Amino acid sequence: MKDFKIPVTEVGNGGFQVSVDLNIYSVDAVTATCYKYTDKFYVHQQTADEKTMNIILEAKDSNATVSSETVKQFCNDLIDQQVRVLVNRDFGHIRDLIVEEAFKPVNK
Amino acid sequence: MMYEYNILPFRFDHFNEEEYLLTNDVGEFLFMKNEDFEKFVNHDLDPKSDLFMDIASKQIATTDKVEEVVKMLATKFRTKKSILRDFTSLHMVVPTLRCNSSCIYCQAKRHESSDHSADMTKKTAKNIVKCIFEGPSPYIKIEFQGGDPSVDFEMVKYIIEEAEWQNLFKKRELGFVICTNLTLLTPEMVKYLKKHKCDISTSLDGPKDLHDTNRPLQDKSLDHHEIFEKNVRMVRDIWGDADCVSALMTTSKYSLGRYKEIIDEYIRLGFNNIFLRSLNPYGFAKEYKDKVSYPIEEFIKNFKEGLDYIIEINKNGEFFVEGFAALLLKRILTPFATGFVDLQSPAGVGIAGAIYDYDGSVYVADEGRMLARFKNYYFKLGNVNENTFQEMFNGKQLHEIIKNSCNECLPGCADCVFQPYCGADPVRNYSVQGDVVGHRPTNEMCIKTKAIIRYLMEKLHEGDPETIKIFWSWIK
Repeated sequence: MKDFKIPVTEVGNGGFQVSVDLNIYSVDAVTATCYKYTDKFYVHQQTADEKTMNIILEAKDSNATVSSETVKQFCNDLIDQQVRVLVNRDFGHIRDLIVEEAFKPVNK
Repeated sequence: MMYEYNILPFRFDHFNEEEYLLTNDVGEFLFMKNEDFEKFVNHDLDPKSDLFMDIASKQIATTDKVEEVVKMLATKFRTKKSILRDFTSLHMVVPTLRCNSSCIYCQAKRHESSDHSADMTKKTAKNIVKCIFEGPSPYIKIEFQGGDPSVDFEMVKYIIEEAEWQNLFKKRELGFVICTNLTLLTPEMVKYLKKHKCDISTSLDGPKDLHDTNRPLQDKSLDHHEIFEKNVRMVRDIWGDADCVSALMTTSKYSLGRYKEIIDEYIRLGFNNIFLRSLNPYGFAKEYKDKVSYPIEEFIKNFKEGLDYIIEINKNGEFFVEGFAALLLKRILTPFATGFVDLQSPAGVGIAGAIYDYDGSVYVADEGRMLARFKNYYFKLGNVNENTFQEMFNGKQLHEIIKNSCNECLPGCADCVFQPYCGADPVRNYSVQGDVVGHRPTNEMCIKTKAIIRYLMEKLHEGDPETIKIFWSWIK
């Protein structure tokens, strides 16, 4: 984890903690990101303060160690999920109209 | 000074160091020098200038009432999306999984010619036809896929005749296509297909050695390419029309660097178009990726060279079309709607085309049935022997898939300058990237499509009159 600076810290049992800035990421985006990691990790979300959420991930496999690539990927996935939230907020209504139009022939 | 004008929604990106490319929802586009772009967005562009007139003519800004321009944009947008008006019209039916080929990139998990375990029953066939006619579309195209459907030609005939019978009452515009390697077609079969207006679609991957490498027959003693060539002639002789048979090519890694030869072979065999198609990462192509696949950048490089070669052929007086470029150019240069199941928004899966497997299972796309072979039923809508049309085509599952396939609202697509010309492929996203939304920065389909649209835009921007004339001839 040495090559990865803030805001990641190692915790015991081969786990790591990421502090997420809630000024940038919505809770929905953070939860969606965490969900992606529940196959290989036990994930705990906890509000640190109004502007920060801490995520603790611990490998399910007790022999496994968390690589820095995993942490970096987690941070990239946060961006991916936040963009999904943003496009849904900004363009979701257009999408809903188009989908409604697409199914109109079978809703008559 | 600040000029009075209203800027309407548009997308933009750097096109090169000196210029921006602007597009809007209805597909209008404009190149603008950096300094002009800055002036424009800062309301510093003279509305009486030629450039502003050009911008206004494309409904990217206006000095008139915004409501009037919005009405015009809405009309154009409805036209672009008019493919949604009719719902599913392409119904792909798999009478059997048996096939006499053993293509290296097979996407259908074929069965040996003697293995009848995946043959359709008459009961299932009848229910499929019934389901097809329950759809609302005034146009119905039934496309036989496989395996190779000619292996079970009796079932093909049964479905054609059942559909024609149903259509006596339903009065739709009914058509058929059979996708076959041609090798098993006899003159009697071709006469039957002609009589029932069933078009023939085949596969041709290039010159003999390449075609036989990509698409060998299971019986090694037979010469696939030779039989193919003989039967193309036979089909055309019976039909009396060179365009009665169309061909599709697939690029394996053995095809790279050989596009000129492939194009020449198409011309030699009397075809006037080609669709330079990359490998879909499904079936054997996915399973044996290392043996048959290649980096997408290699395909893009070959596509550009192939397109340049085709343009040169046209300049030398021979009319020959590249299909993918023609599709994209129609989207770029005209206001008309273009349906293309693999690249539209929302995706065409289920709402433009659906596939009916030999056992009556209905999937939104071909890859859906491949996933089902591995016990993943995400893209299965139901089964014609158990479910109603409404349950399958108006069910929660299809709504969910379509909802996630509008590129107007997908990460990386929503603000992409090429969005109006592009589309989404949720099945491919799911298969390759693990979810239907996908991840554009690492998505090969996105990388490929953007590169090709950009290349066409470069050609349009260069403005060579001969090239532009050729492009227009392709989309007429």
